[in-house]
Amino acid sequence: MTSTDERPTTPNAQGDPVPTRDATGPRPDAPVVLRVEDLWVEYRTERGWMQAVRGVDLEIRAGEAVALIGESGSGKSTLGFALQRMLVRSARVARGKVTYRTRDGKTVDLLNVDDKQFRQLRWREFSMVFQAAQNSLNPVIKVSDTFQETARAHGEHNKGRIQEKALELLRKVQLDGDRVYNAYPHELSGGMRQRVSIALSLLLDPQLIILDEPTTALDIITQRAIIDVIRTLRDQLDFTMIFISHDLSLAAELADKVVTMYAGEVVEDGPVRDVFYQPKHPYTVGLLNAVPPITGEDFTPLTAIPGATPNLLNIPSGCPFHPRCPYRTDICSRQNPPLVEIAPAHYVACHHHDQVTKEPEIWEHIEVEEVAEAAV
Amino acid sequence: MAEPLMALQHLTRQFDTRRGKITAVDDVSLALHPAEILCLVGESGSGKTTVARMAAGLLKPSAGTVEFEGKDLQKLSKDEFKEYRKAVQIVHQDPYASLNPVHTVGETLSAPLLHHKLAKGRREATRRVGELLELVDLRPAENFITKYPHQLSGGQRQRISVARAMALNPRLIIADEAVSMVDVSIRVSLLNTMLKLRNDLGVTFLFITHDLAVVKYFGWEGHVGVMYVGKLIEYGPTPKVIGRPLQPYTRALAAAIPEADPDLTRSKEKLQLRSLDIPSLTNLPGGCVFHPRCPYFEEGLCDITMPPLVEVAPDRHVACHIVERELTGQIIAAPATRQAAAD
Ligand SMILES: Nc1ncnc2c1ncn2[C@@H]1O[C@H](COP(=O)(O)OP(=O)(O)OP(=O)(O)O)[C@@H](O)[C@H]1O
Ligand SMILES: Nc1ncnc2c1ncn2[C@@H]1O[C@H](COP(=O)(O)OP(=O)(O)OP(=O)(O)O)[C@@H](O)[C@H]1O
Ligand code: SF4
Ligand SMILES: [Mg+2]
Ligand SMILES: [Mg+2]
Repeated sequence: MTSTDERPTTPNAQGDPVPTRDATGPRPDAPVVLRVEDLWVEYRTERGWMQAVRGVDLEIRAGEAVALIGESGSGKSTLGFALQRMLVRSARVARGKVTYRTRDGKTVDLLNVDDKQFRQLRWREFSMVFQAAQNSLNPVIKVSDTFQETARAHGEHNKGRIQEKALELLRKVQLDGDRVYNAYPHELSGGMRQRVSIALSLLLDPQLIILDEPTTALDIITQRAIIDVIRTLRDQLDFTMIFISHDLSLAAELADKVVTMYAGEVVEDGPVRDVFYQPKHPYTVGLLNAVPPITGEDFTPLTAIPGATPNLLNIPSGCPFHPRCPYRTDICSRQNPPLVEIAPAHYVACHHHDQVTKEPEIWEHIEVEEVAEAAV
Repeated sequence: MAEPLMALQHLTRQFDTRRGKITAVDDVSLALHPAEILCLVGESGSGKTTVARMAAGLLKPSAGTVEFEGKDLQKLSKDEFKEYRKAVQIVHQDPYASLNPVHTVGETLSAPLLHHKLAKGRREATRRVGELLELVDLRPAENFITKYPHQLSGGQRQRISVARAMALNPRLIIADEAVSMVDVSIRVSLLNTMLKLRNDLGVTFLFITHDLAVVKYFGWEGHVGVMYVGKLIEYGPTPKVIGRPLQPYTRALAAAIPEADPDLTRSKEKLQLRSLDIPSLTNLPGGCVFHPRCPYFEEGLCDITMPPLVEVAPDRHVACHIVERELTGQIIAAPATRQAAAD
């Protein structure tokens, strides 16, 4: 195990250190570490298979910070779990391919490697921090034991070294290392536990970490501390990050690239400034228009997206967003628009993306189209 | 100004907990005028819900009073109290927990109408239920009347909670984190619906949230009170408090909030606190309760006495020694005298 401070770069296949990020984000020549192709994930329900992730394509480069945004039920967590092969037993990957590139340049077909091989990848190559509300730390197992166990299960047996690394990481996430290392999770506040989980996820120097709602349900000042911690970690260490959040401001803070999901599909994917300042999918626009700003001397009226997210057992025909969309025309209910590149690295799935602007007026008087109940 | 609809005076509430006695709400005074929106904001455990429960008459204060239209709640007759419980309605955070899963929307909404004899018979109740659903923007109403809670989205369930609160024609709605569990876009439409109730029907709101941006939106025309470990530490008109927060904790809170705007949020000036730890109610720091975290802390002043909430500028109330000194040029009572007074 190397000390975290000695690892500001990722070695390439030849073992030479190659920085994957510069000041503004991932380098354009950084390799793709994760490629998701046409991924479909379903849950078994009383009414049949429910599609929670529907044909997702995604590409993530080394050093990149990717935000998955979208409302509750859009499939963000399901996608995250699928990438980590941590889906519940009632779920299945119906189709698709996930290719992962290890630190030393090997390509792995993530969904098809055997369990033994997969276990060797978890924690060392990638790790996950779960939704803050449902913390993954066992409340009756000491923090120190969790760190020691995790490292031992992955072939690291030098207790002293593990402890040293753990304390260093705990300090990096702004915790009183000695105190927290010897505490039980139930003795810590929610924000402290969340920071312990982040430190733990970095214990074995993974290349990729997935954070599911890292700040949800935490107080604002604690959220700020976590944002700052993540940002500092990314300046000091070199890892790729996917974070899932329904909070757009978190994406604005931390992401290089933003991916909007709706009803299990990726509807927009682009560089953070493009997605926030020139969003081209009506759903992304709707989300952005609904966030109350805090800065500014004036009152900003906000418009909501009418209607509600669809029932995944009864997804609208054509574009899944069409019943709520102010730009819809006939074609929208007939054909699901493909994700196309409309500007460099900016992808949108909308028939009328060229008409879409951030102007709120068009949202004010839309009739939500009724979705017919599917025959069961 | 006209007589307030509700006045909370020196409200205090203690609890015995396993770790000892705590003061969850400490000497909070606030007034709500008819059709006003008063927002209460603060972090988890700061005492917001406890204030709400006392205001709603669900919890007895340990000290202090709740007055409604000039009358002390504790002194109301049984009938008067019943009327009070109609006039003041609560909307809770969790729409799952607050709706009975075996009742349809129609049943949920007509029950209080029939119980309080606000509708004579089923037919009138049904008509009124239809109106209530329209009022909370669930249209067409027929689509919702026969539905069960599990057939509704989270946002729709929360609308039903608001409709149920509106069934009794309340004067005041206490909304306790009523929009905290719903998605961004649904949150805005719920807030717009509640604003309409206030603008069109003159409903007064005590609106509780931990989200200052939501306060800015919903409470723009009203006042906001900021709570910290049971104490009210700032109070004033919403645009002013949010545009220029004075109490250091409020400043830290406003500075901490991320914005959904990459350039803005990444260049926002942050206020570094001295410590991230929120003090425990069983072991509050002496002096100003915020002093161990406060970036403006001054030894010998802030760690000696708790600053009282004082009006430091017209309609701006702040509990902070430093702000008080800056804005009023003096400290109303020197620390030493205050100490003596407290003894
Ligand atoms: N274990 C499960 N069994 C059945 N359905 C599930 C399960 N987990 C999630 N789902 C369903 O799959 C869909 C996608 O859920 P998912 O948790 O991935 O969404 P999300 O975008 O992460 O939402 P949130 O913001 O609420 O966390 C939802 O309709 C959800 O109800
Ligand atoms: N019935 C009770 N018995 C003991 N302690 C209580 C009781 N009710 C509240 N408390 C305590 O009083 C303090 C204030 O709680 P309260 O629920 O009012 O805070 P809050 O500001 O509403 O927090 P949140 O944002 O988490 O809802 C907390 O420390 C809480 O644990
Ligand atoms: S494809 Fe049509 S319905 Fe879908 S988002 Fe674009 S305009 Fe709206
Ligand atoms: Mg989720
Ligand atoms: Mg509360």
